[in-house]
Amino acid sequence: MKQTGDRRAFLKGSSVSLALPMLETFAPSRAKASMQAEESIDRPKRLVCIGVYLGFYQRDFFPATTGHQYEMPPTLRPIAGHRDTMSIFSGLDHRGRNGHEGWRAWISGKATGSVSFDQLVADQLGDQTRYASLQLTCGSPPGDAKLSFTKEGVALPMIGRPSVFYKTLFRSGSDKDRISYLLKTNRSVLDGLIEEAKTLERSVTADDREKLNEYFSSVRDVEKKLQKQLLWVNKPTPRADYTLPEFDPVAPDVALECESIMYDLMALALKTDSTRVLTFLIPGWSQVFTIRDRRLSAGYHSLSHHGNEAAKIADYNLVGMEHVRRLGAFLDKLRTSRDADNNPLMDTTTVLYGSGMGDSNTHDNTNLPTLLLGGGLRHGQHHRIDKQAPTPRRLGDLYLSLLQHFGVREDQFAGATSNMNEYLL
Amino acid sequence: MTEQLKHQALAALTLTLIFVSIDSDRVFGAESLPNHASEFIRKNCQGCHSGDDAQAGVRFESSHLNWQNARAIHLWERVYDVVSKHEMPPSESPQPTIGQRERMSQWLQSQLSHHARPGGTTIRRLNREEYENSIRDLFDFPEFNAPDAFPADDTRFGFDNIGEALILSPPLLAQYLELATQVADTILPPDNGDEVAVPKHYHIGATGLAESAWTTVEGDRFRLASSKRDNAHTAGWPIRFSAPKSGVYRLTVDAVALQTDEMFYPRQEAPFRLSIYAKKKTEQTYDAFANLRKLKAFDVPVDQSSPHSFTCDVELNRGESFGLRWGNGPIDSNGFNRVRLKQDRKLHAAMLGIKRDPRGMTQSQYYELTLGHMANGLNLDDPRLDEELEGRGFGGIGHKNGPQLMVNWFAHEEVRRYGPALDITEVSIEGPTRLIEDDEMRVQKKRTATFLGKRPANVSDRAYVKSVIGRFLQRAFRRSVSDLLVQKYTDLVLYEMQRRGARVQDGLHVAIRRALVSPNFLYRSPRDGRLDQFDLASRLSYFLTSSPPDSELFQHAAEGNLAVPDILKSETQRLLSSKRHGNFVSSFTGQWLGTRRLSDIMPDPRLFFYYQQHRIAQTNEVEMLFEEILKENLTVDTFIDPGFSYRHKVLNKIYGSELEGDQTQRVEFKRGGREGGILSLSAVMMATANGVDTHPVQRGVWLLENVFGRPTPGPPNNVPAISVDTSGTTTMRTLVEKHRADQSCARCHDQIDPLGMVLENFDPVGRWRKNYPIYIQATGDALKEEFYSSTGTGTKAGPVIDSVGVLSDGTKLNDVTDLKRYLVDNVEIFSRCLTGKLLVYATGRPMNFGDRRVIDKIVSDVKEEGNGFRDLIIAIVQSESFAVK
Repeated sequence: MKQTGDRRAFLKGSSVSLALPMLETFAPSRAKASMQAEESIDRPKRLVCIGVYLGFYQRDFFPATTGHQYEMPPTLRPIAGHRDTMSIFSGLDHRGRNGHEGWRAWISGKATGSVSFDQLVADQLGDQTRYASLQLTCGSPPGDAKLSFTKEGVALPMIGRPSVFYKTLFRSGSDKDRISYLLKTNRSVLDGLIEEAKTLERSVTADDREKLNEYFSSVRDVEKKLQKQLLWVNKPTPRADYTLPEFDPVAPDVALECESIMYDLMALALKTDSTRVLTFLIPGWSQVFTIRDRRLSAGYHSLSHHGNEAAKIADYNLVGMEHVRRLGAFLDKLRTSRDADNNPLMDTTTVLYGSGMGDSNTHDNTNLPTLLLGGGLRHGQHHRIDKQAPTPRRLGDLYLSLLQHFGVREDQFAGATSNMNEYLL
Repeated sequence: MTEQLKHQALAALTLTLIFVSIDSDRVFGAESLPNHASEFIRKNCQGCHSGDDAQAGVRFESSHLNWQNARAIHLWERVYDVVSKHEMPPSESPQPTIGQRERMSQWLQSQLSHHARPGGTTIRRLNREEYENSIRDLFDFPEFNAPDAFPADDTRFGFDNIGEALILSPPLLAQYLELATQVADTILPPDNGDEVAVPKHYHIGATGLAESAWTTVEGDRFRLASSKRDNAHTAGWPIRFSAPKSGVYRLTVDAVALQTDEMFYPRQEAPFRLSIYAKKKTEQTYDAFANLRKLKAFDVPVDQSSPHSFTCDVELNRGESFGLRWGNGPIDSNGFNRVRLKQDRKLHAAMLGIKRDPRGMTQSQYYELTLGHMANGLNLDDPRLDEELEGRGFGGIGHKNGPQLMVNWFAHEEVRRYGPALDITEVSIEGPTRLIEDDEMRVQKKRTATFLGKRPANVSDRAYVKSVIGRFLQRAFRRSVSDLLVQKYTDLVLYEMQRRGARVQDGLHVAIRRALVSPNFLYRSPRDGRLDQFDLASRLSYFLTSSPPDSELFQHAAEGNLAVPDILKSETQRLLSSKRHGNFVSSFTGQWLGTRRLSDIMPDPRLFFYYQQHRIAQTNEVEMLFEEILKENLTVDTFIDPGFSYRHKVLNKIYGSELEGDQTQRVEFKRGGREGGILSLSAVMMATANGVDTHPVQRGVWLLENVFGRPTPGPPNNVPAISVDTSGTTTMRTLVEKHRADQSCARCHDQIDPLGMVLENFDPVGRWRKNYPIYIQATGDALKEEFYSSTGTGTKAGPVIDSVGVLSDGTKLNDVTDLKRYLVDNVEIFSRCLTGKLLVYATGRPMNFGDRRVIDKIVSDVKEEGNGFRDLIIAIVQSESFAVK
């Protein structure tokens, strides 16, 4: 009897979404992708992009001087210990428009709603891991806070609950049974469709036959992806020694707590090689934070519109430093951890940290706070981009460098056509 | 926008030509070609299009043609398109003279007008809206929505429901499969056995509550200071609790009323009302309390200084939390600050006396500053104290940056310090003590029962499954289905049941998944030639309701009498009167008149401070005009000069009107004037500009395409668009005229530009203007002032607008009034255009020469019967173009 019970396990369980495993297989299996895999067989490459929605106070984020000898600016003090593996860029932006809309362009370049560069990297690396990429945030961010976009220009949904992120990485047995069952039965779902469409094909015109060909090739493509998903779902998920709080801290008041947990899980995601591409949007609302036992003078959003008033800037900076402190804890984990093949995470993970908001006080999207960390790149300096130069560098140039670093053979991205390799290699 | 992008945007407004490869075995025959035509083909086409290696599979083999061959006609239409639009021969090849080209075009045009037959829709995939509505109808699942991440549909020929543009790609099919699984899970949920209640204690405490704007934490108390009507301003709710299961929970709250002698508001004698509401999630929400489920209310006594403890049992649904709110405080609405200023002359005078910009201050700093002004002598005779307080910011009182907000700050700080306020000192919850069936489960059970139907006793699994499948597929595929198909789905269900030891539901789950990704569901009208009854029902239904046929329509199709003219007419009337025809109104106008584009346009704040409320009012104005014309069967020229419109007061600044009240109002004007109609709606004028400046070419192209029905081809490659310079050095007219000096440009721009000039009096948000604006080059703080001022005064008057235009028939138009008069006098021009648009939307294909004959007949027939718009739609539905694929 026990056996019957096991056989029926897949019919139980709450409704599990196939959306996530589906995403992992969107990555095209290109020849060059596998070439890339061979080249870097001993050194995987990973990408993490972290955007802080309400930005930073520029004057305390950027150092006063450039080069190696800069004095660590106040906001960045919590990560002073990572100085040697960090580059600070000032003066970079997309030459785009101002206002909230600009945020959506942070990692997609000048044109809002076009593909974000992390997704191009995910296309390149995605075949090698369970998830091609994962998108994270804390709670439900404001509507315009979007980070990753697909090639079709669709904003990818973000996981905002630690428990969901955890489940995604370390799926329980019953969820796995159900997903595996759905995948298997989806194969019989698709089997019959080709036959059904063929019956239709007999009665249509030549033009329509082309349309039906779209259908046939889509079905065959999805069939192939199902096969791959089944392979992954049957591979054991990694085990994690991590205890989640009983309740997801998704209320705005405890967003910093959520941020810490998300970082912890991100480090685990990289360590277990569940994915090699992560994006993390750190949202902000009008919540009033209490930081080191002091209640701040106003809500976070209102602090971001500080009106250049010293007291508000100070409190705004406190929140900024709390974000950077959490980044620091994440970087510490990357520094001390190695993946299953004993590769140091810090050397194999490139972290882009910053904001699509330049000066939140005026909603100005120029001079975006930009840090680049790890990934085995050349670091240690503050680079100030000369905007008076004949062809001043822009943020898209940096993304182009990163794309090339990850083996995406593109020589332009969102209007940028020259890389910034001389700063990084 | 770069010059190139501008030109591309322009091109996107016009017709796009799509090449279709033609099988190489198609050869023209029969009737002989006139000499000039065969000469033209020999010289210009056969170089590439002949022999076995003919380009694109198009071969010109003989000097004969056969007008009986449908595919040949189709090909000749393509030839006409590429010749008349200068797309062939390719620009690198020798070109015919303009005279030769025109002769060939004219000859083809006259032949095609005579011989071509209507039809030619490519098989249509459901677009997003149609797909969602189909799922909703099929499963009685009104709350179904495709996720935001669902890929968007392409637009062609002005609409997003055109067969050839509705592509299916692997990621889209994967999405369909994912959604099919979710739908199947909802209709036939997996078996989770019986759940049991496991009660647990959750200590929340006063400091475990999430704050909204008007609450504060004072030590170990959670202070509710306002009684405004929405959650985001007033309530507190647990940060770390939501009901793990739907059930009964025991809630304990300790609360005490705070009233001190220093209060501004009079001591309240009635008990303070503590209201408890169900809240859908833990995250920040902006719900109005009126829309939330009330759980319980308590009276907190006012004569007690220590907290009173209240306990109650409440029903919470899975995932729900609860909110705590003070129901009867003095600060209770958005209008309270106006009242406060009226009552509190001293506060008002103090605020007027503050010259400092309050932005950047904290709430308590502002409070102290205001108190300081109160103490240091007030001018209580300031005449502004007696002025009416009006508008969003009460513009008259001192600083313009939101005095309303400042009153809020002051009052909030005051009640925070001295009361009155309701303090929560302790909160805990225990449960579930027993489980309940929540609304979601009830709806779910009902849906499952409806889908499964009643299973008769003594019926085999096979017979039962077959009956469920037969009923379901017929609705899913919108037609009667063959026994063979029912058999195949039934086999699938039984196979899954046997192989995996599953319930009937689990087998049917697989069948639902297959049906929802089947081509029979995702596509409509695949069969060639004249639509059969079911395809006709689908075309009619998706046309007028963006939804699948309802049971009455389906019944007519099943009985085979839908094509009977009277029945088709009465069904059309019925659908037009049903609630769901609203889908047609918003989808059709949103695309034809461009209101869908509004959300992508961000007007320059120096020009106008544009909010979502403006967009909603503008869109409503368009839809309500359309709705009245449709409902009352008003004449087609009403679109041009209705003499009425539907306005909301938020548009006062756009129309210079002085409306009041919260409702949209029907306003009337004299016909023959500038106001009213699609050529003066601010939504349309805004959609045909870009938020920053206007462009006669863009609006000219739009008019030709959407009002005159004469779409223009896109500009040739590598030609930059003209740029707008409103700084006063050059006038728009000289710029535009320069543009037409080039002969190749002039061919089209002679028609486009003079027409576009007529609308120049409408600015980028649709306001009437006499001068071009000059943007004041404000930067930094100065710009910020303008940005926040909400008056949009960042411009000054520039050159005077010259709106004179000339139509291609030589008619001179002084301004938009003349254009409207011309279109009313020559209404058949507009009728033909509108009929074409409606037919493109209904059939999902561009209009060919055969369709154009049908359109001419519809237009003249309807005109004879009084030219009513509803009659026009009925004539369209009864036309040959509507009846064929």
